[in-house]
Amino acid sequence: MATKIERDAAPSGEPLPDDRLREILYFLKLARYFDERMEALYRQGRLPGAIYSGRGQEGTHVGVAFALEPEDSLFPTHRDLTAQLAKGLDLRRVMAQFWGRIDGYLRGRDGNSHIGDWQGHRTYAVMSHLPIAYPVACGAALAYQRDGSRRVALAICGDGATSNGRWHEAINTSAVFRLPVVWVVNNNQFAYSTPNAKEFAVPTIAERAAAYGIPGVRVDGADVLEVYAAAHEAVERARDGGGPTLIESVSLRWRGHAGHDPAKYVPRELLEHYMLSKDPVKNFEEYLRAQGVVTDDDVAAIQARVEREFDEGYEYALASPFPEPGDVTKGWWVEDGYWTSVPGRAGGTVAG
Amino acid sequence: MATEQVEAGAAGHGAEPRGKRSEDGQATYLIAVAEALWEEMERDERVFLLGEDIGVYGGAFKVTEGFIERFGAERVMDTPIAEETIVGMSVGAAMEGLRPVAEFQYADFMSSGFDEITTVLSRYHYRAGVPLPVVLRGPSGGGVRASSFHSINPEPWYAYAGGIKIMCPAFPSDAKGLLKSAIRDDNPSMFLEHKWIYRRIKEQVPTDPDFLVPIGSADVKREGADVSIVTYGAMVHRALEAADGLAQRGVSAEVVDLRTVYPLDEETVLRSIEKTSRALVLYESYRFLGIGAEVAAVIAEKAFEHLDAPVIRLAPPNVPVPFSPPLEDAFLPQVADIEAAVDRLAGW
Repeated sequence: MATKIERDAAPSGEPLPDDRLREILYFLKLARYFDERMEALYRQGRLPGAIYSGRGQEGTHVGVAFALEPEDSLFPTHRDLTAQLAKGLDLRRVMAQFWGRIDGYLRGRDGNSHIGDWQGHRTYAVMSHLPIAYPVACGAALAYQRDGSRRVALAICGDGATSNGRWHEAINTSAVFRLPVVWVVNNNQFAYSTPNAKEFAVPTIAERAAAYGIPGVRVDGADVLEVYAAAHEAVERARDGGGPTLIESVSLRWRGHAGHDPAKYVPRELLEHYMLSKDPVKNFEEYLRAQGVVTDDDVAAIQARVEREFDEGYEYALASPFPEPGDVTKGWWVEDGYWTSVPGRAGGTVAG
Repeated sequence: MATEQVEAGAAGHGAEPRGKRSEDGQATYLIAVAEALWEEMERDERVFLLGEDIGVYGGAFKVTEGFIERFGAERVMDTPIAEETIVGMSVGAAMEGLRPVAEFQYADFMSSGFDEITTVLSRYHYRAGVPLPVVLRGPSGGGVRASSFHSINPEPWYAYAGGIKIMCPAFPSDAKGLLKSAIRDDNPSMFLEHKWIYRRIKEQVPTDPDFLVPIGSADVKREGADVSIVTYGAMVHRALEAADGLAQRGVSAEVVDLRTVYPLDEETVLRSIEKTSRALVLYESYRFLGIGAEVAAVIAEKAFEHLDAPVIRLAPPNVPVPFSPPLEDAFLPQVADIEAAVDRLAGW
């Protein structure tokens, strides 16, 4: 099977209607604003735990999420919170999770962007041992292949995770069984501090697809529509029984691996180049203005909505009670009923 | 029960076909396992098998021989040699409503899927409330000259992970009833067969398709008054043999078969200690931090007032299972070791 490395054709399929384009802009701006505000709260010591910034990679996250139907499943990483928001997670409950509250999606059992809402939005609760969800996505895709539902699983990992054995196991297995799954690698050029050149010896991640007999495509993560088009094509191919696709979306991680990391290992010129020329949020906003899809007033209204929703989420999170400490051992076994009953809510709250 | 001579190709290579029950209705442990799988697949079409060489070949030990003809390649799914993916794929399939039963050719190779077992399978329900009715099964244990990589007792590693029910049955009926319970259970479970028992132990096994043995329930295999031997797996058979010898010398040993090692049936264990006041904890996983270490701690903590002697553990040393017959025999607790330990306890 031919492997396509560079994407040179125009995006396939029908162009997105204007309201969907404005929605994409909303999620891009929400992601950016959320990221900046949460980092500020983290630095002020008002946010417990950790933060993993996805800044600079919003185009990848929103682009792939928009290619999915609600019934399709998403297997993200800690850096892909924006993809989960674009899949429909409630920002208020996401923020409650960051503050360890009972109204978070995981009832305080996990924090920050280690989040998921399988029962609701078909997003897998993130785990750290990347790409730990790749084999799991194979299983969901196996179920879709058998039940005839034409659903698709889409899994994301970073460039760093492509060095792990499971990445190869899962992609190979998905290819052998022609599973309806899409493999997305958010290549932000650094695995924590390790650059691409020390991660793999091939020029691109996408060309590795040839080794598994599946199509591989490389896209510019700064261009949300280019990501969307590639993801849409891959999702529809999987839906139609055409098997898996590997998508490498190239961006740069603007911030450190986590909130504590100043990322001095990223060359200054490289960072400046990406921030000035490859800002997925700014570029898309300019594109929509140039196309006449949004006016200044539209953009201002989107920004106001984003800021209002963040403030509402913050208030909601801090007003939500903590989990009941006596419930710490519950939920271990299905039969204890914890996850099918209303959870205990500890009295009182602690300021964030 | 005398230890029979080790069969040729004991590690499963060149194993004979699965076969059937004998004319009087007795089934080996291996046949009992196969019957459990077959019956649950007949009962519930969501149940499917996946693993290496289980389809056309019928499995390394021929447990699934004949299954692919009845259930098809989709439900008897041969996979690439990719244990992390076998486990992870089972998780994903379970998240979407299927009930996978993954075979490992040897329980040793479960460690090739360690992260998916201990990080995903064991923790996902606690973190996110999604039931994962996954069964991981495979032959464990030594005594068949299969050496370091085909003889392990991995149950402590996975019991420590939590969230996975772990069964180590010693008898064909228990194996059948527990495996059927595991497949019907909405939690993850690990079903550790014992390859030494596979073709050595036969008994009448229930044929009722709804025959189940409850998970988490120990069973007293032999009543006794003087000493309790708390054990599981192949060591149950050694304990029973030792108890025969001890009885001839007037020492009455009770043999408690845990059957499930996690969660532990503390109640049955403690009831036995209350009766005998002496405890030998016999196990095939390593002595240091093996399953019996926890059992001994439970007895010491919760039955202190009933004890007339210190709790004694008898288990292999923490070294890889060696090959050479004299070495493996020195590694595994033998009947004579058990009798000597019971004598020490009875002397208090």
